[in-house]
Amino acid sequence: MDLRSGLRGTYFVFWREMKRFTNQRLRIMMSVVQPVVWLVLMGNMMTRLTDNPFTAEVLGVDNYLVFMVPGVMIMTSLFAGVYGGISIIWDRRLGFLVKLLSAPIPRYSIALGKMSALILQTMFQVSIIAVLGGLMGVRFVTGVGGIMAALLFCGLFSAIMSSISLFLSASVKTPETLFAIINFLTMPLVFTSNALFPTGAMPSWIQLISRFNPITYAVAPVRTLAVSGWDMEMILSGAGILLIMFLVLQGVVYFRFERGSLL
Amino acid sequence: MEEQEIFGLLGPNGAGKTTLIMVLTTLLKPTGGSAYLNGYNVAKCTNQVRMNLGYVSQDLAIDDELTGLDNLWLQAGLYHMDRSIRKKRTDEVLELVGLRDRAADRVDTYSGGMRKRLDIACGLIHRPGILFLDEPTLGLDIQTRHEIWHYINRLREEVKMTILLTTHYMDEADTLCKRIAIIDRGEMKAIDTPARLKQELGGGVIIFQFTDAAEPGVPEKALEALRGQDFVREISKNDGDFYLLTNESEEALPKFFTVLEGFPLRLKKVTMKMPTLDDVFLFHTGEQLREGTISREAIARSRSSMQRLRGQR
Repeated sequence: MDLRSGLRGTYFVFWREMKRFTNQRLRIMMSVVQPVVWLVLMGNMMTRLTDNPFTAEVLGVDNYLVFMVPGVMIMTSLFAGVYGGISIIWDRRLGFLVKLLSAPIPRYSIALGKMSALILQTMFQVSIIAVLGGLMGVRFVTGVGGIMAALLFCGLFSAIMSSISLFLSASVKTPETLFAIINFLTMPLVFTSNALFPTGAMPSWIQLISRFNPITYAVAPVRTLAVSGWDMEMILSGAGILLIMFLVLQGVVYFRFERGSLL
Repeated sequence: MEEQEIFGLLGPNGAGKTTLIMVLTTLLKPTGGSAYLNGYNVAKCTNQVRMNLGYVSQDLAIDDELTGLDNLWLQAGLYHMDRSIRKKRTDEVLELVGLRDRAADRVDTYSGGMRKRLDIACGLIHRPGILFLDEPTLGLDIQTRHEIWHYINRLREEVKMTILLTTHYMDEADTLCKRIAIIDRGEMKAIDTPARLKQELGGGVIIFQFTDAAEPGVPEKALEALRGQDFVREISKNDGDFYLLTNESEEALPKFFTVLEGFPLRLKKVTMKMPTLDDVFLFHTGEQLREGTISREAIARSRSSMQRLRGQR
């Protein structure tokens, strides 16, 4: 299969996903409401934390919201990506997957198309968080350029998470099983990461886990962009680690889709 | 298979129909042997085979959340058509399946028959050399089945499409197919036109009675004359009815009347029974019930497509 049919396949799978997304008004509304709830509820609940000078120092910010917005951005990317593979399960059940599999496009382009749509949807959601955060007084010290860079990080992280999800959905046949596996994986990941809480304040064994947690590597550079500035060492090392994860996962997904059975 | 014919593939559950179609549609690699489609080996030239083939699976492979037009647009894109051609072909197939007026509506507002027609249109849009219709009227009511048959016949007449059709409904195979093949346990049991397959079982039976008004001896002479005819195999009497076994099919009845015209007698009643394709099918595959080896996922899939064919969301 040549590159051209791969690109076409990817584009049209992407096109379908985006059509479906824009047709589902409730889904779009919820994707806006969810981060609002996070920010307003969690953010306000925790603002008193920074009244205490000690916690303010551990968090590294005067306002918990400033600490939290990058975390919520990455968590939104996480969930948008990690539940995205379910469309494979529905397509299989509705018989649509057979159509995609018997079309003259490489099978990997099915995964790529769905992933691209998830990346774009994620970036849309994250932009809303950036705007909302802005309204609530959270300013990125790196300005609009920093927010753009943060969006790219969120897209990349969503790509990683959707790759995992697509890989699982290639084998898992029911949505219930997929949800069970994903919940089992993500809850510990979130709470051992620096998304909502600084790792510096965690027990040392959790700090160790956190060091192998992909969320940590996504949140750190975004938070740097929001709080400290263009710390290139931090940003590039985060980007490097995420890119390596992304590429390894592409290899895994490629072989799963091209060589294995998807039905 | 010959070009421009509708070819029926019949067989009980587990006969190998689905496996055959999966191999021909490149969804499954053959474990041995080779298959060619338009001269392309299905295991090697996967892309050429896919471009030459339209596959309408028994599940509704259309996206209910998109409009009919979007579904076709997507299909045309997946088969590498350029924008201008996409537009033209989309119009063409919409006309062909009679969905032009509803093209801009979402598929979940369609009836079952309309969904199936859209599904078939998707299989046609890239003008494949051959179209696979896998149980096209499964789960549809009689009216909708006739509607689908109408459009399938239209494909044969207007587009001269070569079609491979599988079905469990013998009347469907009889109405639509020029030739049919019966397979069982991976083996070809019979292949011919429906008419000839029925003839092989022996022709029909003409059941008749004379009125009592005839003069004595005349009915006997008439029966004697009938027995001398080529098309008559045997005549027997049972419960006042005569049973005439013939080795021909529809042609037998006119011949029967021509012979009787020469005798001064009247018929009280006459009917003709033909062997049906059901009889042919059972003759070749036996009466034994088959164990289905269907996966749970396939069951879930067919259940959802049944609901959608009944026009539910």
